[in-house]
Amino acid sequence: MRAIFTIAGKDLKNLLKSPIFYVIGGLCAVIWSNSYIRVLLKFVETSMLQGPQSGMNLQRDVFTPHISLVNLLLIFVIPALTMRLLAEEKRQRTYDLLLTSPITSTQIVLGKFLAGVAAVAILILISLLYPLVTFGVANFPLLPLFSAYFGLLLVATCYVAVGIFASSLTESVVLSVIMALIFNIMLWFIGQGAEGGEGVNKILEHLAIAQHFFNFIMGSIKLKSLVFFLSVVGLFVFLTQRVVESSRWR
Amino acid sequence: MIEVRDLSKRYGDRAAIQSLNFTVRKGEVVGFLGPNGAGKSTTMKILTGYMAPTSGEVKVAGLDVFEDPIGVKRRIGYLPETPPVYFDMHVKDYLIFVANLKGVDRAKVGQMANTALEKTGLQDVRNRLIGNLSKGFRQRVGLAQALVADPEILILDEPTVGLDPKQMSEIRQLILQLKGQHTIVLSTHILSEVQASCDKVIIINQGKIVAEDSLADLTRRMSGGGHIVTLKLRRPQDLIESGLLQVTGVVAVKRVGVQLEVECQGDQLGVEQTVEKIAAFVVGQGAGLLELKVQALALEDIFIKLTSTDASA
Repeated sequence: MRAIFTIAGKDLKNLLKSPIFYVIGGLCAVIWSNSYIRVLLKFVETSMLQGPQSGMNLQRDVFTPHISLVNLLLIFVIPALTMRLLAEEKRQRTYDLLLTSPITSTQIVLGKFLAGVAAVAILILISLLYPLVTFGVANFPLLPLFSAYFGLLLVATCYVAVGIFASSLTESVVLSVIMALIFNIMLWFIGQGAEGGEGVNKILEHLAIAQHFFNFIMGSIKLKSLVFFLSVVGLFVFLTQRVVESSRWR
Repeated sequence: MIEVRDLSKRYGDRAAIQSLNFTVRKGEVVGFLGPNGAGKSTTMKILTGYMAPTSGEVKVAGLDVFEDPIGVKRRIGYLPETPPVYFDMHVKDYLIFVANLKGVDRAKVGQMANTALEKTGLQDVRNRLIGNLSKGFRQRVGLAQALVADPEILILDEPTVGLDPKQMSEIRQLILQLKGQHTIVLSTHILSEVQASCDKVIIINQGKIVAEDSLADLTRRMSGGGHIVTLKLRRPQDLIESGLLQVTGVVAVKRVGVQLEVECQGDQLGVEQTVEKIAAFVVGQGAGLLELKVQALALEDIFIKLTSTDASA
């Protein structure tokens, strides 16, 4: 446990010290602020004009577009945060230190993974500020919002796992970003094949990240969706562990 | 302390090392000597559990490296060819990080880091970024990293490579100071380094051990009491070279620039007589003797002898 936290602590500190994190955080905040205000104003306008019979709903009409945008940005931003986690260790030759220390590959990978998740959680918390501020002026049930954010955190955790896997495959941070991006986008495109719902499509439907994410956004935490996200994370963390371990016998 | 049996490693078709056998006793300082690409780094990486061999067995402090890698790694401090330092970390923070990684007792982490700083003379730069340090200092940070958990065994892969002569001698001094506290295996292709710090030499060439002995024994055995007499003459002639070969005790004569190198065989007394005869002969020929120097065969000559292609002496 200690080894995991030692590595996680070092990498998180490293991420929080790097300008990249602040550039990314700042840019995200600008984009989210801009879009959130527009969506919120539109919501206010429509519901003022039409009154209660408009059927407008904060969760569906304001938070869902916001969370979708957050998710969209995270697809591109997380690879930039995770790119250095293993690739840089290899490039700087500090990988030798990790591999000759009395720790297992699993501990190395879990440490890096935790650091990545923690850094991303900070970004997600920033994006949570917007709905929370809205809570100060409007009354709405908080639980569906938290369900949606829990889903968002799970999706982001998948991206982190994918990012670390990409980072483990190469010494070059640029390649690592590109690979992580491609993997992330592929995760979303699996759902494209799910139209129709017959045979293979039926299977693809269960693998579609969009479907599971949608459940969380609608406020329902389903066991199968939870299992799906944890499996994706587990798969990529496991693959990364194998890649790191492989350097011992190659 | 370290036992290596029939160790082999292949990279694809190329054999990096072939059935190495050697042992290192507790407290010894062993120099791993060989030309570039001889398999020194590969052997060291296997000793540290960094990579697995194709076949063979390595035991460190009685533990098998492949059955209990964690236990072995706990006992080893390793300095790879490139010091494994994070350029964006401060020296002290880095050592604390490494100490935690190596599982040093939590309460002692700060103290151990300080001791390592002291031993390597890094106190003055403890709060500087590693990336801003000179190469020699980075090397020292690498050494401090290997020392920080106070391991029984230190494995140093070319600890002085790429340093200037002053830094080299500083690192060598440091290794000398560590002697006795740790069992040290160091690799190098610089011979004076071995002469300066090692009890025992293992010479490795093309993946095989060509000699394993204490420094003194190796010198005695390989030179066979041989000496080199270097002559500087005013008027060197071919006639003198062939004439010198007739002198009893002379084995070979070689012309190097304006100097003649004469190799002699025999014990101390015999060599002295030979040298006397050589001097008398040269003076008698009127070649104008300017300089005469007698040297025992040095490690360098032994090394070259052993590592040139058909070296099975």
